[in-house]
Amino acid sequence: MPDLISVQNLTKRYGDLTAVDGVSFSVREGEIFGLLGPNGAGKTTTLECIEGLVTPDSGAIAVLGMDISRDAAAIKRRVGVQLQASAYFDYLTLREILALFARIYGCRPSIDGLLSGAGLLESADSTVAKLSGGQAQRFTLAAAVVNDPDVVFLDEPTAGLDPQARRGLWDFVRSLKRRGRGVVMTTHYIEEAEALCDRVAIMDRGRIVALDSPDALVRALPSPHRVTVGFDGEADAAALRALDAVTSASETPNGAFELRTSDPTATVSALSAWAARNGMRLARLDMRTDTLEDAFLALTGRGMDGMGEGE
Amino acid sequence: MLVLHLTLANLKMTVRNRQALFWALAFPLLFVGFFALVGNFAGESSERAAVIDNAQDGVSAILIEALAGLDGLELEASARADESAARAEIADGDLDYLLIIPAGMESAAASASGGAEVVVAQSSGASGIAAAEVGRALALADLLMAGASPTLSLKRETVESGGGGFDFGAYMLPGLALWGIMSNSIIGVAVALANYREKKILRRIKASPMRARTFFSAQILSFMAISLIQAALILGFGSLAMGAAISGGLLAIGAMILVCNMAFLNLGFIVGAFAKTASAASGLGNLVVLPLAMFSGVFFPTDLMPSFIGATTRWLPLFPMVEALRGIALGAEPLAAFGTEFALIAAWIALTAVAAVWVFRFE
Repeated sequence: MPDLISVQNLTKRYGDLTAVDGVSFSVREGEIFGLLGPNGAGKTTTLECIEGLVTPDSGAIAVLGMDISRDAAAIKRRVGVQLQASAYFDYLTLREILALFARIYGCRPSIDGLLSGAGLLESADSTVAKLSGGQAQRFTLAAAVVNDPDVVFLDEPTAGLDPQARRGLWDFVRSLKRRGRGVVMTTHYIEEAEALCDRVAIMDRGRIVALDSPDALVRALPSPHRVTVGFDGEADAAALRALDAVTSASETPNGAFELRTSDPTATVSALSAWAARNGMRLARLDMRTDTLEDAFLALTGRGMDGMGEGE
Repeated sequence: MLVLHLTLANLKMTVRNRQALFWALAFPLLFVGFFALVGNFAGESSERAAVIDNAQDGVSAILIEALAGLDGLELEASARADESAARAEIADGDLDYLLIIPAGMESAAASASGGAEVVVAQSSGASGIAAAEVGRALALADLLMAGASPTLSLKRETVESGGGGFDFGAYMLPGLALWGIMSNSIIGVAVALANYREKKILRRIKASPMRARTFFSAQILSFMAISLIQAALILGFGSLAMGAAISGGLLAIGAMILVCNMAFLNLGFIVGAFAKTASAASGLGNLVVLPLAMFSGVFFPTDLMPSFIGATTRWLPLFPMVEALRGIALGAEPLAAFGTEFALIAAWIALTAVAAVWVFRFE
């Protein structure tokens, strides 16, 4: 299958700031591709270069097999764009705005179909100002797919939404994928990337530091599993560190131990054996596998500045 | 045609935006009504007269009748009694003339020896017409009392004068129409652009396959349509309220309005390029509109200004526009009669167009 989008060595500078620094990736047909990173990582600039809104300083971008620097008009006809903080005309109804955008794209979609797809059929004759935050955001998505695009660009589609509205939006994005559309989205919500994206590019300071499926990104961590264990007697971290597959062990303030392991099954058997040998029983045992958040921490070496807010 | 659909959508938005619609249409009309009222007061220059009639006989009746028949003089229906109060009213400017008729006019006229003196007290600013009329009536009464019948008489004729008087309505109306259109176009375009930029609508347009040219053409077309509606309403209402006769051809007036509006819209695009928010656009737009209106002879003649300002204002865009529209709409002069004015207007259109393209940014 040909790639929907191919980005090679994309660079964009704003004065002294290199917003996007030699980024390369490709998006496959029918996948939801996420650009994940903190504010200022270069996600939106990357997306805007692909959308033809920003002219890159260097690098090559092909969308649907066409070169953005030559065929921008033809590309714009076949992609759908939803912009961050997108608002629409004040004094037109939702139905009128969609009809106008259909004219702009020279197509004749079912306006009612678009509105009901976004759950907005009852609001068809009201204005954007009367919609709730979640409804307004869903409307910008409906307006982004007026031309039945082959690929849809979403910039922070759930920014500022409450959890319920966010889930409603995720359903909409998944429905695009079900209809075989490619989706490229930016987000700074890790659980959004984990829940929605087939593949995620983690961006930091203008570069892609990792690119894979969320699962694979977590599995690639050296010891992505955490075992928390407590005993009914005395134990010490040094002895636990010597057990099977354990890479680190430390005592928690409440007298339990937290172990990191590359193989949780082997570690748990070793733990019960070690406890029996020392005449003790396990008082508690919890296991947790790392999330994309842990992978992000490990890859960028720092916390999520400004990330996960609005939870 | 996409551009027509966009234009219609723009007009639809304008009509639904009640507040903007008010500024575009009703506000200039309020001004026309206001100036029509002021104009009527200014034109109503009649003087007021009161009478103290101590005679109450045939002669005093002749005098009072003469005054009552005078055009431009408003004579109080009932006679006064208190002379000092009436004189005080003259001093205060509430009364222009006081006619004091002494007792026994008829007998004085009949006797060969005894005379009677009629007094006309008038304010220092009065035209003196009442005194002249009373003098004439007295001479007539003398003749009648002496038994002679007058053989020589005077007939007054009024000739409608076109150019002589200052026709307030005719002077104000073209300027008011252009001022209303200018305000709406400059501020309207600037606010619309700033608003679209603020809300990222311009960005959304840029991300679509529509050409920027199409988008701006629709903006211009809708403002052109609105300017014609404004002109029709203001000139129509003004000709009713101010009694100004629109004698020029509607086509010529319409063409004139559209040409002028090109310069206004360019100025609007320039203001819209600088204003970051819609409210800033409104303020900045007013900053441009106000001096243009003040110094372009819309509200008062530039002759009244210091000469160096008057000379400068002749080069501002609104000045030649108002001059030309006055001639075309009210004087029914041909467009070709205003070559100099149109050359200046064309220069302004070209200048502002280049500047608008130069400063405009999508974001």
